[in-house]
Amino acid sequence: MPPEPTNAEAALTKLGQRVRAGWARQHPVSERSLETVRSTVRQSWEQEQKVKRARTTTPKPPSKGKGKGQGLEPEV
Amino acid sequence: MDELVKLVRTYRLTNVLTDRAQLAEDIFRLIAPELTLFVFKAVRPPVAEDVLQEVLKAIVSSLQSFSGATGREFWGWCYRIARNKINDQYRAQASERLQPMPPEELWGLVESSAEAAPLAAGERLDLEYAMKLLAGSKPECGEYLWKHYVLGLDYGEVAEEQNVNYDAARMKIGRCLDEVRKLMA
Repeated sequence: MPPEPTNAEAALTKLGQRVRAGWARQHPVSERSLETVRSTVRQSWEQEQKVKRARTTTPKPPSKGKGKGQGLEPEV
Repeated sequence: MDELVKLVRTYRLTNVLTDRAQLAEDIFRLIAPELTLFVFKAVRPPVAEDVLQEVLKAIVSSLQSFSGATGREFWGWCYRIARNKINDQYRAQASERLQPMPPEELWGLVESSAEAAPLAAGERLDLEYAMKLLAGSKPECGEYLWKHYVLGLDYGEVAEEQNVNYDAARMKIGRCLDEVRKLMA
């Protein structure tokens, strides 16, 4: 009869730690995954730049506010 | 502050492309082992690699929108994304759902971990006992115990996985543990 293990929960927790550590050793980060990360960052960044550029080049619509400096004065 | 959250926050504040790429890589290296285990144990290997790439794309492209404050929240957010991608895969190929990991595969992982940190005296018996608990559980219980103890998901993440609330997941795990412990006694 096997000796009484510490307890079920501790044994399962220990197994989980071992399995995850073993998995990490058997499955190092792949070059394919790293390339996916890099290209996704690049695409997201390019998309952001495009949006930023569009924001800065799009002329603002004339303001409809009231008062001084709010479009009430005629252009000189 | 949690290392992961620090990296994610820095990523969100960084506008330089090369810095962002490096930060994203650092984040990925921290989450890769558990994330790949999660995906590869949910989908068969031929398609798991493709699903993993989809998960990575979704995580990286959404990093800017992550608004949590803790590592736990970040993990929950990553698993949620992974789960959605895995579910997309199941919808496409319903027969691809994996069976529980066989004991010999579990031992292979344990042996790999022992190369870095040798098993302590008596640990092998504990691990054998844990494997018997998993093997002796009813399928539904086995799934709960596997997710919580082996994959390392917390109660909240298991609850999301199983589509139940937090307390239901916590109680179910406790009940499953009691049940199988009695069976093994």
